[in-house]
Amino acid sequence: MLTINPFAALTNFFSPLVLQVYLALMTLAVIAGTLFDVYHKGSAKFFTQRREHSQAAATRPLSSGETFSLLAETIAEAAVSGEFCKWPRRASHLLMMYGFFLYVVTTVVLVFGYPGAAHPPAILPALWTIGASMILAGGLWFFFFLRVNVAHDGDSSFHLGRADLFVGSLIAGAAFGLIWHCLQTAYANAAAAWIVFGLYIFFTTLLFLSVPWSKFAHMFFKPAVAFQRRVEEANGSSDLPSPSTENYIVRS
Amino acid sequence: MPTYTDMTRCDGCGECVDICPSDIMHIDPVYRRSYNIEPNFCWECYSCVKACPQHAIDVRGYADFAPLGHKVRVRREPEKGSISWKIRYRDGRLKEFTFPIRTTPWGSVKAAQDYEKPDLNALNSQMLAHEPAALHIDALPALKAKA
Repeated sequence: MLTINPFAALTNFFSPLVLQVYLALMTLAVIAGTLFDVYHKGSAKFFTQRREHSQAAATRPLSSGETFSLLAETIAEAAVSGEFCKWPRRASHLLMMYGFFLYVVTTVVLVFGYPGAAHPPAILPALWTIGASMILAGGLWFFFFLRVNVAHDGDSSFHLGRADLFVGSLIAGAAFGLIWHCLQTAYANAAAAWIVFGLYIFFTTLLFLSVPWSKFAHMFFKPAVAFQRRVEEANGSSDLPSPSTENYIVRS
Repeated sequence: MPTYTDMTRCDGCGECVDICPSDIMHIDPVYRRSYNIEPNFCWECYSCVKACPQHAIDVRGYADFAPLGHKVRVRREPEKGSISWKIRYRDGRLKEFTFPIRTTPWGSVKAAQDYEKPDLNALNSQMLAHEPAALHIDALPALKAKA
């Protein structure tokens, strides 16, 4: 299973072009959904105003080198999910983030680079499986133990709301993708494999089409907000007090 | 001035939900970020503002005076044992204050049962339990017994 291209067997039933067009449509859906989200919430307008206010209130204008350094720091923080204050949230987010990245990149490479090839370079299907498994591990950990309305508001672990649209469709897509890959590897053309494939496509489509209503776009705007926050703290326009220069912890 | 949550900063960790003495900080069912469900019932104790590790909670006045432009923000730094305030007045003046809040590391305070059980003879002493060692000094002055 770890060395077999999960999408290869599908080319016996329809052209590889079908999956390639599907992936292109999903990419367009993410772009359109994100742009609609930005327009609907007025976030671009809000950030432009905030940036103008920040520049007007700056007590120490930043050089381009300092701005670049802040950008690099923001990217480094995002790469390790440093914005989370608790390690379980951070670990589950890292699993989902890098799992999703592996899963999406290997899917694109397999569908466009090796259409119909049952045995592409072994690393690709292995990374696809590892990526989906990481999404599942991080997602289920978050869903059943770390969600705040479960951990702090005392809701049922099975409580579902609109906030779960992104993580729910991500977990379901990865889970049905893995089950489908197992089934079609063990039993060629089994009816169950086609049913699970249908569920896999349904939840994957839901994940990408629901961008305006889900938190999918957070992967684009969260780093932008984090960067703006760093700029405001560096140029002196932040409303937050400056960090204390004294350490009052004098005893152990 | 009741509290509100800046959802672009909140990471939904739930610290404010746990600490709010009025139980009005809850998790938004749509966005899974914290929000004040009833600003009229806010005690304005700033517990959630200080507890928030993301500095996502702020206070704002009611509509009749909020547009005047004042602001109060707080930064708690438990690793330094300090709390800092930044006050923006309506005329644009800014003032910052930093106060020590403790001298020992966060979470290091021992519970009573973690100390060694005192000797019963200590009841005759003028010292309180674990004095003077607990005060980090060598000795305390004592009243002389009357002859």
